[in-house]
Amino acid sequence: MSGEEHIISILVSNRPGVLSRVAGVFGRQGYNIESLCVAETLDPEVSRITLVSHANSAFTEKIKKQLEKLVDVIEVTQLTEAQSIQREMILIGLTLSPDVRHEIMRAIDLFGCKLVFIQSNHCILEAAGDKDTINTILNYLKPFGIAEIARTGAIALGQKSAFH
Amino acid sequence: MKKNGAEILLQTLRDQEVDVIFGYPGANTLSIYDGLRQGPIRHYLMRHEQAAAHAADGYARATGKVGVCLATSGPGATNLVTGIATAYMDSSPVVALTGQVPTNFLGSDAFQETDIIGITLPITKHSFLINDVREMKSSLHEAFKLARCSRPGPVLVDLPRDILTATCSDDEERGLLKTKKVQNGNGNPSEQLQKIARALNQAERPVIIIGGGVKLSNACAEMGDLIEKGQIPFVNTMMGIGSIHDGNGFNLGFIGTHGFELSNRIVHQSDFILAVGTRFSDRSTSDVDEFAPLATVAQIDIDPTSIGKNIKTALPLVSDIHKALTQLLPLVEGKDRAEWLQRIRREKEQTEQRNCYNGCGEPGRLISTIQDAMPTSTTAVTDVGLNQIWAVRSWKARTPRALLTSGGMGTMGFSVPAAIGAKMGNPESEVVSFSGDGGFLMNVQELATISYYNIPIKMVVFNNGHLGMIRQIQDLFFENRLSSCDLGSHIDMIAIAKGFGIEAKRVAVTHPNEGIEQMAASNGPFLLEVLVDPENYVFPIIPPGRSNMEMIFGRSD
Repeated sequence: MSGEEHIISILVSNRPGVLSRVAGVFGRQGYNIESLCVAETLDPEVSRITLVSHANSAFTEKIKKQLEKLVDVIEVTQLTEAQSIQREMILIGLTLSPDVRHEIMRAIDLFGCKLVFIQSNHCILEAAGDKDTINTILNYLKPFGIAEIARTGAIALGQKSAFH
Repeated sequence: MKKNGAEILLQTLRDQEVDVIFGYPGANTLSIYDGLRQGPIRHYLMRHEQAAAHAADGYARATGKVGVCLATSGPGATNLVTGIATAYMDSSPVVALTGQVPTNFLGSDAFQETDIIGITLPITKHSFLINDVREMKSSLHEAFKLARCSRPGPVLVDLPRDILTATCSDDEERGLLKTKKVQNGNGNPSEQLQKIARALNQAERPVIIIGGGVKLSNACAEMGDLIEKGQIPFVNTMMGIGSIHDGNGFNLGFIGTHGFELSNRIVHQSDFILAVGTRFSDRSTSDVDEFAPLATVAQIDIDPTSIGKNIKTALPLVSDIHKALTQLLPLVEGKDRAEWLQRIRREKEQTEQRNCYNGCGEPGRLISTIQDAMPTSTTAVTDVGLNQIWAVRSWKARTPRALLTSGGMGTMGFSVPAAIGAKMGNPESEVVSFSGDGGFLMNVQELATISYYNIPIKMVVFNNGHLGMIRQIQDLFFENRLSSCDLGSHIDMIAIAKGFGIEAKRVAVTHPNEGIEQMAASNGPFLLEVLVDPENYVFPIIPPGRSNMEMIFGRSD
């Protein structure tokens, strides 16, 4: 998918089915949602969906209007890298061979990963940070046998947003 | 005092001033039907749920009120889908009530279970699954409000059987989670209106395009005032027809693939377009790159997603149309654009010569004759295809709700059931339904509904033994390689009508007068079958994908 990465933050009513509607707006036009993170906000009746999609800015403007049309959508904000804080968490499952153990310990030192699980032949590392940090960690560890990963996808808050 | 869900439902419908429902019962809606027995809401038992949805839609289009249809779960609900989609595409306020399996059976593939909310997600404005009887009343009120507010549309309410029988008392009733929508400021609308007015006043060759949104906003009078004050010629989209009396001197017809030659030519030459309540569908613009190449476009619509979606607009305004036109009127100046009006007059004369009976030939003449034979307040409902184009070009709409047509979805089989809905909405007015032999067959079972309730609608079926529009397109653009457009001429429509207990007469399109007189004079339902030659096409027509100016006027073009 061409275009820049767009992070869209959507406040929605916390009700069943809302996620389907939001996802439907993208899917219907053949656009892939690359990551999506959703959870309650301080108000239990309101959830925040943070989603990442690659598209050009004309598309994002169009999508924003279509999302705002949904009855359950309260507010849609597009978050740029410059004006927001973006973070992601990842769990990385690695197979442990003797020469790899050493590298993994080095990764923990270098990148501040946490070792959250270890058994005879595999371990799970946890890492959090901005997108570049996560990708760097992954690139570093790939040669050493990553078995599987689970990423949250980005969450983000505008630097000014909560403070109206 | 405790009431059950079905009772609360019916009471809420009464509170919403619903007087008719179109529906079809089933196992999961029986408690509603039990309550419907004592009235006062009148339930019309249609003979297919699709027809119930079209009837609710026709009712809404004819009256401006919310139309209501009711179907059971499973196949009943899925049969509503085409009707809901039809209402969605033309922004028609409809509430569709569907039965559902009990809540503890949801997701178990129970008998007649279907995820109708999931299925209709893309074709409803919103939907509700009531899983708590205490939210029944507030959900229904919200459904009606959503159906009619802003840009109207269909809303579905899914009613599990156990919720309909569950009870609650008045004080247990719960409000819904209030969706705290953040109102996006429209910038400064009055400033934008000033800009639009300025550009309009300075334009030398302005045209107004009236879309369906003007009548939805009840802004037809304001639009008329604007046209009068500014002395500005206007065209309609298919959905805008009727917003202004057809006889208005500034009316130039309707634009698009099947529009009038005059309308398309004038838009092409304009230097300023004020587009109100239109979404610029591909049917009205044809090739967008070639659409109105000389014009600056101002677009007013209540739906932000319609603004600038298909046609670039230099002067967009998101606003309720009634409000916008009221504020725009004092800013518009009455200009004497003699040269422009003279050019238009010349074009009008030339195009009228080229297109007798508006390019519809004998069928066009017949439709005019029928209109003259019927009272002036008659509502016309069209189906889809050649019959639709003949009707929208030939029937002179004098009021906003005089001509009903499925423009956005182009649903065949719409006409007869929508005519039933229109008649129930305005029982004092006559209703004429136009169909082709193809579309007529798609909801032919509604002849049973019509005779059962003795609904005196007049049905005109143009029988050319074909899917006429498909045949025309295959003839003109597929080098006459006809494929599956022949429906056969072996069906005896008169026998069908009589079998359903309906008076009927067959005429040839060239000699219809006796049949028309009989139809106009009849007191009950009437079917007029009009035999038409299958090569009776409609011209001009625009080849698929081409521009509004690349009109074809005959087979030889």
